[in-house]
Amino acid sequence: MYLTEELAAKGKVARGYVGRAMKRVEDPRLIKGIASYVDDLKIPGMLYAQFVRSPHAHAEIKSILTDGAKVLPGLVGIFTGADLNDKLGTIPCASPISGGRSPQHTVLAGKRVYFVGHPVAVVVAETRAIARDAVDLVDVDYEPLPAVMDPEKALQEDSALTHPELGTNVAFIWKLPAGDVDAAFKEADKVFKLRTVQPRVTPMAIEPRGCVASWHAGESSLTLWTSTQVPHLVRTLLPDLIRIPENKLRIVTPEVGGGFGSKLNLYAEEVVISHLAMRLERPVKWIEGRRENAATTIHGRDQVAESEIAIRNDGTVLAIRSKIIADVGSYCQLLTPAIPTLTGLMLCGCYKLKAVLAEVTGVHTNKMSTDAYRGAGRPEATYMIERIMDLVAGELGMDQVQVRLKNMPQPTEFPFNTATGLTYDSGNYQAALAKAQDLAEWPKLLQERETARKEGRLFGIGLSTYVEICALGPSKIMAAGGWEWGCVRIEISGKVTVITGATPHGQGQETSFAQIAADWLGIPMEDIVVLRGDTATAHFGRDTYGSRATALGGTAIVMSIEKIIEKAKKLAAALLNSKPEEIEFENGKFFVKGKLEETIEWGRLASEAYIAKNLPPGLEPGLEASSFFEPSNCTFPFGTHIVAVDVERDTGHVNILKYVAVDDCGKQVNPLLVEGQVQGGITQSLGTALMERTVYDESGQLLTGEFMDYAIPRAPDIPEYILGSTETPSPSNPLGVKGVGEAGTIGATPAIANAVIDALSPLGIRHLDLPFTPERVWRAMKEKEARS
Amino acid sequence: MIPAMFDYVRPATLEEALGHLAKYGEDAKVLAGGHSLIPAMKLRLSQPKVVVDIGRIGDLRFIEERDGKIAIGAMTTHYDIESSDLLKRSCPLLPEVADKIGDIQVRNKGTIGGSCVHADPAGDWPAAMLALDAEFEITGPRGSRPVAAKDFFVDMLTSAVEPGEILKLIRLPLTAKTVGYAKFTQKASGFAIAGVAAVVDKARKSVTIGVTGVAAKAYRAAGVESALSGSELSTANIGTASQKAADGVDPLSDIHASAEFRAHLACVQTRRALELAVSRLP
Amino acid sequence: MKLSATYAFQDPGETLFAALVDPAILQKCIDGCEKMEKTGEDSYNAHLKIGVAGIKGSYVGKVRVDEKKPPESFTLHVEGKGGPGWVKGKAKIQILPKGEGSELLCESEGQVGGLIAQVGSRLVEAVGKKMQDEFFRKLGQQLRNTSVPGK
Repeated sequence: MYLTEELAAKGKVARGYVGRAMKRVEDPRLIKGIASYVDDLKIPGMLYAQFVRSPHAHAEIKSILTDGAKVLPGLVGIFTGADLNDKLGTIPCASPISGGRSPQHTVLAGKRVYFVGHPVAVVVAETRAIARDAVDLVDVDYEPLPAVMDPEKALQEDSALTHPELGTNVAFIWKLPAGDVDAAFKEADKVFKLRTVQPRVTPMAIEPRGCVASWHAGESSLTLWTSTQVPHLVRTLLPDLIRIPENKLRIVTPEVGGGFGSKLNLYAEEVVISHLAMRLERPVKWIEGRRENAATTIHGRDQVAESEIAIRNDGTVLAIRSKIIADVGSYCQLLTPAIPTLTGLMLCGCYKLKAVLAEVTGVHTNKMSTDAYRGAGRPEATYMIERIMDLVAGELGMDQVQVRLKNMPQPTEFPFNTATGLTYDSGNYQAALAKAQDLAEWPKLLQERETARKEGRLFGIGLSTYVEICALGPSKIMAAGGWEWGCVRIEISGKVTVITGATPHGQGQETSFAQIAADWLGIPMEDIVVLRGDTATAHFGRDTYGSRATALGGTAIVMSIEKIIEKAKKLAAALLNSKPEEIEFENGKFFVKGKLEETIEWGRLASEAYIAKNLPPGLEPGLEASSFFEPSNCTFPFGTHIVAVDVERDTGHVNILKYVAVDDCGKQVNPLLVEGQVQGGITQSLGTALMERTVYDESGQLLTGEFMDYAIPRAPDIPEYILGSTETPSPSNPLGVKGVGEAGTIGATPAIANAVIDALSPLGIRHLDLPFTPERVWRAMKEKEARS
Repeated sequence: MIPAMFDYVRPATLEEALGHLAKYGEDAKVLAGGHSLIPAMKLRLSQPKVVVDIGRIGDLRFIEERDGKIAIGAMTTHYDIESSDLLKRSCPLLPEVADKIGDIQVRNKGTIGGSCVHADPAGDWPAAMLALDAEFEITGPRGSRPVAAKDFFVDMLTSAVEPGEILKLIRLPLTAKTVGYAKFTQKASGFAIAGVAAVVDKARKSVTIGVTGVAAKAYRAAGVESALSGSELSTANIGTASQKAADGVDPLSDIHASAEFRAHLACVQTRRALELAVSRLP
Repeated sequence: MKLSATYAFQDPGETLFAALVDPAILQKCIDGCEKMEKTGEDSYNAHLKIGVAGIKGSYVGKVRVDEKKPPESFTLHVEGKGGPGWVKGKAKIQILPKGEGSELLCESEGQVGGLIAQVGSRLVEAVGKKMQDEFFRKLGQQLRNTSVPGK
């Protein structure tokens, strides 16, 4: 039993907001354009900063001449690494791997630049235009050095070095030996190999990064408004870097125009702008440009894996040995090393493998750092294992569904322990698969494929049955706390303020948390305001990433409400001349057991609690409670995506004909939000599958520096999604929710890949890597034709 | 994304505009719809000292039938063309091409004149202008001069419009419905990797083909045209002739399409454009 | 970006070679070269305005000639940096007698960085080719004959 069901069963849920598809309360202000983003902020006396950035991938800085720029009227200052680096701490990596070697990540470049876009200096001026003019007048003399661009070649003895002082391009090596791999391979009837390439992609949030820092000289305190997913992590990390006590630092996150993991970091620019505001004693604004965003906000994916797969003739997948090379770029940002380790941990997918040997080598190159991008390590794992399942089916002449069913744990086997040491909380993979097949009209789809193939058309069906890990926590596996915090305050008027530390920034929890609180308190949703994103009000928090906000933040709110109800019962007992244990609470009303004729509602309780003239002895005034929720485990959402495509023979263009997704994210607080997350996730993944890739040329120049060259899906590229869900509650939190922010991204790419390769299979094509751009597909077809 | 400092003038008449251009010479740049110039200025790849905005010169925006020809003012927007009933009846290739330019916001602001003068190698209009044998009327300090489409697109980003001159209007022939535009789009930019405009004249058994996106400048696929001249427009003939769509051309190459793929797409899109045009034969 | 092209001239190799290593003529032939100042033997500081039509960037850089083997070959280096990024090019030039005149083989290699690489990649190669053709066309003009681009 889960709380919602329990309460519903007792008839305690007054309005039943939870589980209802409701429009988001945050949307009107966003749609009307009256919401405030960082760039909307204007403070009297505010200065503007712009960064001077390296046009070279790897170079020594011979000199920086600023005289030409300094004469500009309105210029306030120009600061180089020499001016700032020794006054500020280095950019932290929160997930270092033991034995790893990474360079000191100073806020501005020191003697060398390591990637195109590396900040070399910062100019500050009275207006944005003057700052921009000044950038062109700063004369930096570079001596170009050989750029390390290919992570595989970077591992060769004779390779140039990204950071010569480290003596190697290897940033870290992480090994996961799980189970008896050698024994499993001995047991195998067949062993085959697979090389998979996950191209580098650029998150391209519509709102680039940006921040405003304001120094309050009187209080010696600083406020930083920044477009981030993680104001609390910034507040934890930044004080040491700018030499300020934590309690003198307030972080505010206004509206955020997309993060997708790219704003789950502490960036050098945030540190520099904070410092400049303190140093110049004036507010300073910096807004990232689109090209800066493409070059200097973290990238995602970028892995090459060589795998060996041990199978039995009956379709059982016994074990995988995988050597994964992760191109981490020039520096390790906050979670850079953790991302490919998630790939290793999730390599079993939703299958009962006996053993896995994953070896991840992180490699430094002269590119922007990679880090968490929606899915973060799991899309890579899912792509590998789901390609493997199709290849197993191909090797053995089995059906792509049968091979999956053969290897899935039964619903009765949960909690299920994987070979890699994870405990999948709950699951019914077969049910999601069956429902997806049903929605896709599977037999008809197979028939269509047969007909198409007879006619010589390239028609393919792809499938991915995925499982992912989210709701990160618990704290024992996290670098700095995996809990979440929430606070609920019944105001004197009886209105309710909910404060979450989970910092939703577009996911819709202003709505879903209000739904939860309304049900638990038995009041109308309209009486609730959800606050987020300001460390002065949300005192604690671990923020939004890894699809954690609802499972953890939602639970912290429920826990707080339970505390308030306990206290309210004491107050109600005094007012009703009864004892607390005699007081019942239902539908927002307190009453003495069996005496429904006399009830007290929140409004009266609140006024009594704060006016505090009739409080029973020993009861503190006020009706407020806060809670930290510490989960016992992560959650493991899952689902099945089915895709049908056809491929144009003469151009290689891929058309998506049908897209079906059945996702199980446990209990759904607001199915409309779930659907929105799934749609967005699939769409982003469709980009990864068909068009997106970050391209650096051999000398390290970024060729996909803006939307003219970096393709993301637009409305006409998006097919109609047929969506469904199953609901297997999570036992890891009392709401039974799992999380859905990344599910679409994780399930979609392999399904599309499998469909495209299935379409090409009559030509003898067994594997092809992402993205399936027309030219790549056309070349693959052409090569096969040339050979046959 | 802040342009370098510039002055801005907004003349009310063409004469006034020409006066500004004469005065500022190469330091001046004409602003039409602004969809190429403004981005280039914001990137500071273009740093004119004076921007001459011709957007308020009323008599540059029209679509009319004059003396048995279509005349389109240089400031006519892509959307004006896309939605013109006159063009849908009398020069249907133009609305068909307009519909495939950028997105609705671009089409509402971007102009046919601006696009042609900018002469982007992947712009859509040059293919149609070449296939229709358009005539451009350029006006300057010494009066107006007509330039044929084949001479108008001089090179990559270079048209026949000289500094000091302004494109006034474009004259096009009335055609039958037997036209087609087949565009293979670059996913990111929406520009053409290969855009082919075909005009089929059934009576004369002749076709004209304009190709954009493939080479540094748009061109007429002469090989295809001569292969089909006088011959029956059968699927087989079209297929064979289309193979010549990139003959003698030095195709562009970038991360979106190699030279080889571009040349291949030129042929495929030529075939598709011709098939489309032929499918519209009464 | 690599280019290889041949150009035909009516002049004998010696004339061609002498012209090509003459800074006054070099400056006139490098499209957009606004200024060249000698800084040493065969090396110059230069102000370059490179691009096409209205899309041009100003660069400050160096022009250098080396590996001179009169009259048959030398290497020309051009590099510049400016607001739009940086450009760097190297052209290995070989002159062979052909009939009355000579044939010139130019094998060049170019790199661009910064903004122009980021936003102009689709045009960079075509611009490079155009600049090279323009260089030899202007050289032909300087020599009062016309160069004919070969293959």
